[in-house]
Amino acid sequence: MNSIFASIEHWPLSVWAREDEYAYFLALIFHAWGMALLVGGGVVITLRVMGVAGGAALSNFRGFLPVMWLGVALAIPSGFVLLVAYPAKAFTNPIFAIKFACLIGAALLLRRLIRIGAAPRNSRMLAVLCLLLWLAGVTAGKLLLHTYRVLTVS
Amino acid sequence: MEADPIVNVVAIGHWGREVGIYGLMTSRWGWPIAESFHFIGLCLLFGTVGLFDLRMLGVARGVPLRALHRMVPVGLAGFALSITTGLLFVMTTPDQYLHNPAFLTKLSFMLLAGVNMVLFYVIAARGVWLTGRDDLPPLGARIFGAVSLICWLGVMTCGRVITAFRPPAYFWCPWC
Repeated sequence: MNSIFASIEHWPLSVWAREDEYAYFLALIFHAWGMALLVGGGVVITLRVMGVAGGAALSNFRGFLPVMWLGVALAIPSGFVLLVAYPAKAFTNPIFAIKFACLIGAALLLRRLIRIGAAPRNSRMLAVLCLLLWLAGVTAGKLLLHTYRVLTVS
Repeated sequence: MEADPIVNVVAIGHWGREVGIYGLMTSRWGWPIAESFHFIGLCLLFGTVGLFDLRMLGVARGVPLRALHRMVPVGLAGFALSITTGLLFVMTTPDQYLHNPAFLTKLSFMLLAGVNMVLFYVIAARGVWLTGRDDLPPLGARIFGAVSLICWLGVMTCGRVITAFRPPAYFWCPWC
């Protein structure tokens, strides 16, 4: 594994992200914007299913999905830069896997919630779970900074 | 470093130690847990207020603004969470924040967002409640929405780069 990490660390993109004065912080900023839009959309839709703003039809909340896709479009490339800058830091930390598990779970559950609608009573329980998964994904992302064991291998 | 005649950074630091905030925050999980709640609060704030702003700008037409506005209390709870945890950071290492250009710019964005919010409710809110569910609100309301959105994205941006502008290297004291 270490040889794979080492070879990624020599990619020009990886070197640039680590050594350029602005690159890493620019990636962090775009990642924050992307995650805010993605999770923000998740928050507004799950709150609606939980019964907040009950006067608005859930189907109309699909209009917020492009906001979430814009968030994904910002968060994935910026996240990729952050990842290749320090591949060993991410891939040796189980919290990195937990972050993705939470976010993928939240996205799948949200899709299901939009499909089945807000009416069934267990929808609300699923919406609470979905909201917690979005927030757990963000929390896990935040904790990556505090829990890594290896920074670079080369 | 120059002395600050208005904000007594040393006294705040001492107080943070005396009341135990420093000890709590510098323990193994103190800072990471506070940071996690800081971000959860921001998510709740942006997910409600930020998306309400986007609806005012024409995203997700069909969602009535009046109904969507009922989510704002959740955003306020998120804001309270972020302010509380944010104060814990400042009380723990006041010198790293109170003279930090990124932090002071962040505070300026928050102040602008607050003034913008008050003016929104005084001037534009009534027109928003009367807006049809498929319609755009009046231009004034849209401007308040755009300013709010820019402010909160600015808050996030400045927050992200606070560590890049740490004093004493980036000592910044407009009032000194």
